[in-house]
Amino acid sequence: MSAEQVTFPLAPVYKKKGITFHQALAQAIHPEGDATTNSGFVAVKYTDSVRSGEIAKIEYDFLINATGPKLNFGATPGLGPDGHTVSVCTFGHAVEAAKSLKEIITKMKAGERKSLAIGVGHGTCTCEGAAFEYTFNVEHEIREAGVRDLADITYITNEYELGDFGVGGLVFSQAGFQTTSKLWTESLFRERGINAILGAHVEKIEPGEVHYELVDGTKGVLNFDFAMLLPPFRGVDLKAFDKLGIEISEKLFAPSGFMKVDADYSGKPYEEWVAADWPQTYRNPLYPNIFAVGIAFAPPHQISKPRKSPNGTLIAPSPPRTGMPSGIMGKLAVISIKELIKIGPSADVGTASMANMGAACVASAGSGLRVGSAASMTMYPVVPDYVKYPNTGRSVDDTFGEIGLAGHWIKLALHYMFIYKAKARFGWFLIPE
Amino acid sequence: MENPGESIARAPLPTDKTLRQRKSLFIQFMRFIAINLKMIKMIRKGHHPMERKVK
Repeated sequence: MSAEQVTFPLAPVYKKKGITFHQALAQAIHPEGDATTNSGFVAVKYTDSVRSGEIAKIEYDFLINATGPKLNFGATPGLGPDGHTVSVCTFGHAVEAAKSLKEIITKMKAGERKSLAIGVGHGTCTCEGAAFEYTFNVEHEIREAGVRDLADITYITNEYELGDFGVGGLVFSQAGFQTTSKLWTESLFRERGINAILGAHVEKIEPGEVHYELVDGTKGVLNFDFAMLLPPFRGVDLKAFDKLGIEISEKLFAPSGFMKVDADYSGKPYEEWVAADWPQTYRNPLYPNIFAVGIAFAPPHQISKPRKSPNGTLIAPSPPRTGMPSGIMGKLAVISIKELIKIGPSADVGTASMANMGAACVASAGSGLRVGSAASMTMYPVVPDYVKYPNTGRSVDDTFGEIGLAGHWIKLALHYMFIYKAKARFGWFLIPE
Repeated sequence: MENPGESIARAPLPTDKTLRQRKSLFIQFMRFIAINLKMIKMIRKGHHPMERKVK
């Protein structure tokens, strides 16, 4: 798909819905106002062509922080489009990655053997599902180009096992048996002839070389001609100040830069983690009129078991919370605000803990209406609850995985449905998150 | 830590029949319906933000 097929201007959508739209970069939150106002406000810097660079205050009664992440390429030297690897995190990045891949395929067509490294570029990355998806899409493209025998494809990840996906892996029933996402994913790697480096923290990237450390402390180098490695995420560069102008960022944000909400941030060990650690209302405890949803909220801890190498390097997939969970959290915040406006501060607000919601993931493994393929997965709940589901932490009936052409059709249908919904076209609200 | 190469080499390899089934238009159409129903069931189960309320 082209960039034009997956992007569209937001201003007309907001105009249609009667929403005032400011295209601006949020720089600071002043939850108590300042010397000139008692109302909370966000200090912004405009980025649209008309007011570019202009500073302003946008006052609020309720604030929903839904900034998404900062792509922290700086965490790994040499990572990213300004370094030696490509990325698919923005449509601009994806266009560049597609161009680089095309060049590599052209060279393979000329008979050159090439090495491709795909995965995550730091021990604490999230979105392993996206890296997995891209790996199999690239393999598909290379196979369709008729040069598969000239490509060595390696998936490098911080996951301890294949099929972890940052959620500690899945157990589901298939053909009358309980099976694991590990076995299922390994089968796909075997079928497609893709190598894997697991439990890896990428230390640095040099031209043509990924330097990494494994959970067992050993170090290695993966040579590449093409590398797409996702960056770790952190919260956007947003600060907070009290009424006197004193910085209170550490009260509103976790050290990762994500906003604190009603989660348990006590930092207890893995063995003591419970489903109740996860936030339910996504309200900031200090300023309950501020909500943080999607990637913007600070998770209490990982979902996968975190590990450290003997050298002390943390290798721990961060919890995924994009897609379906983000949509539900956003909806929750809006419904809660509606109740708070109608009834006042004593109103009941809804809950949407990730330990009480499911998620569906359709990971494309190749496009084409007749030859496409995708891995369709659902899990319920996203965060395992070993009290409710003592054996696997999740409902085996509502957790499943399947590979096939049907998954590609679902992926395609979802793409058009989500674009339709995002454009707020007729009946958009009937499309689930 | 298990060697991923060895683990992948021991993973079940789909048979030609399974691979054909993954591309069969009829079978995949049926799976399309089945997977969508499963997803709808999962969505109905856990996507009701206002059902559980707190102060």
